[in-house]
Amino acid sequence: MRMQPAIKWISVSAITVALLTAMSVFATAQTPQLAVQPVPKDDAKDFQERVDKYLAIQKKAIGKVPSMPKETTDAALISKHQLQLADAIRMLRPKPMQGEIFTPWLKTTISAALKQQVKGKAGADTKATILDEGNPKSGESPTAIKLTLNGAYPDTAPLSTVPPSVLMALPTLKDGVEYRFVGRTLILRDTKANIIVDTLPNAF
Amino acid sequence: MKSRRSTLRFGFLGLLLAALVNVHAQQPRPAQPATPAPQPQLSTSPAAPQKPELKFAILGDTGTGGKPQIEIGQKLAETRATFPFEFVIMLGDNMYGGESARDFQNKFEKPYAALLSAGVKFYAALGNHDVPDKQIAYKLFNMGGQRYYTFKPQDGVRFFALDSNYMDKKQLDWLEGELKNSGSEWKILFFHHPLYSSGEKHGPSLELRKVLEPMLIKNGVDVVFAGHEHFYERIKPQNNIQYFILGSSAKLRSDSITPNSSFTAKGFDSDNAYMVAEIVGDEMSFQTISRAGKIVDSGKFKRVERKVSNQEVKQ
Repeated sequence: MRMQPAIKWISVSAITVALLTAMSVFATAQTPQLAVQPVPKDDAKDFQERVDKYLAIQKKAIGKVPSMPKETTDAALISKHQLQLADAIRMLRPKPMQGEIFTPWLKTTISAALKQQVKGKAGADTKATILDEGNPKSGESPTAIKLTLNGAYPDTAPLSTVPPSVLMALPTLKDGVEYRFVGRTLILRDTKANIIVDTLPNAF
Repeated sequence: MKSRRSTLRFGFLGLLLAALVNVHAQQPRPAQPATPAPQPQLSTSPAAPQKPELKFAILGDTGTGGKPQIEIGQKLAETRATFPFEFVIMLGDNMYGGESARDFQNKFEKPYAALLSAGVKFYAALGNHDVPDKQIAYKLFNMGGQRYYTFKPQDGVRFFALDSNYMDKKQLDWLEGELKNSGSEWKILFFHHPLYSSGEKHGPSLELRKVLEPMLIKNGVDVVFAGHEHFYERIKPQNNIQYFILGSSAKLRSDSITPNSSFTAKGFDSDNAYMVAEIVGDEMSFQTISRAGKIVDSGKFKRVERKVSNQEVKQ
């Protein structure tokens, strides 16, 4: 039997409305997009491979120090573990060179991506956030930090806020390292050992 | 005949799908602004018991180890004698200027010793003065070894602690997923940097607002607590969400709220403060109390039951 035209019309319309509405809901359910110009893929891949090499050292170092429970009420144990891990990394990476990870060619693209995020009126809030109170060189809470590779990031210093757009522009990092700023210097910080892995001065 | 039946079935399914999606995408109901409560008592308990029922306390920017923090800790313990809250949420900057074992004692364990010994749990969010990997491993902060996490103290209420100092895509994706999966419960977020603020020093975190607010609206978040600004401010409800700033539980920046700000429902920047809150059914009551013991703000508001929204968010 042939389909009645009215039934056919209702069916097609209903399905179309359903699909369009579903697509609209799906579209708005995505992570909100900021205006971001990320580091080019090839450069990001190069960078991530360098970070992976560092993380392999970190992993090896973790295997060399006494393990620590995921949580403890003994704050001294947390500090001790961090110091032991930092020492083990220093043994495995005795002579780190600035630019080992933020290589000169990556510096150009990373700086370009950062400058794009902080430029002009649109980037004013992003720039202010980076240089605000969390930044150890901010006017409000200045803290002297010696940016030495393999050196500890001092507990006494705050950690800069890294705005979402900046994190989206920079190559994605795996657990174990993070980006922070000290003044305008971008640093790669080992979160587990609390040491400075590499620096990129005048990053923006 | 068979073909017609299948067409009808197809059409019916299409209409059903359209109706379901439309319900899912409906606009939120209008905001119900916080109304000041005439009495200082918090209890909103009606004669017949309702669920959920939950009492909790809020502290922000605490970790100095100084006299104001200690006095606020004492006041909070006194408050608990008459208002037995179950736990405390901490809005970041839990440790200023050092994180040795002695710091954890002086800036946390000692000021809140009475509460800790009474078995009160503390749930911390990270601020810009906190060393993440130290604090997430500290059991008394109940972070489960994570920079951001969620917990459900009882049915119908879920809390989400975020690391607003490092809001990467991984965290945003996690939050979106957790909010979606949390159903129609009370959704309460707490983190350090305020999305709305009338602070003269910092002001709102606009970029954070840009990425978070649409997600909070879509997923029916009810309340957001933030710190960072060293004062207390209750923001007028924004897109049906009630925002509080409490960054003065140890530090204080006097006279730092912009006068006549259109966002301020209530501001207090002349003394340190802490908050207590109670959820009964669809209502939340709150009280903000100064270091001197004065109630500086109080009120209650109703949770707005919302569905996923696709409305445009005014930035």
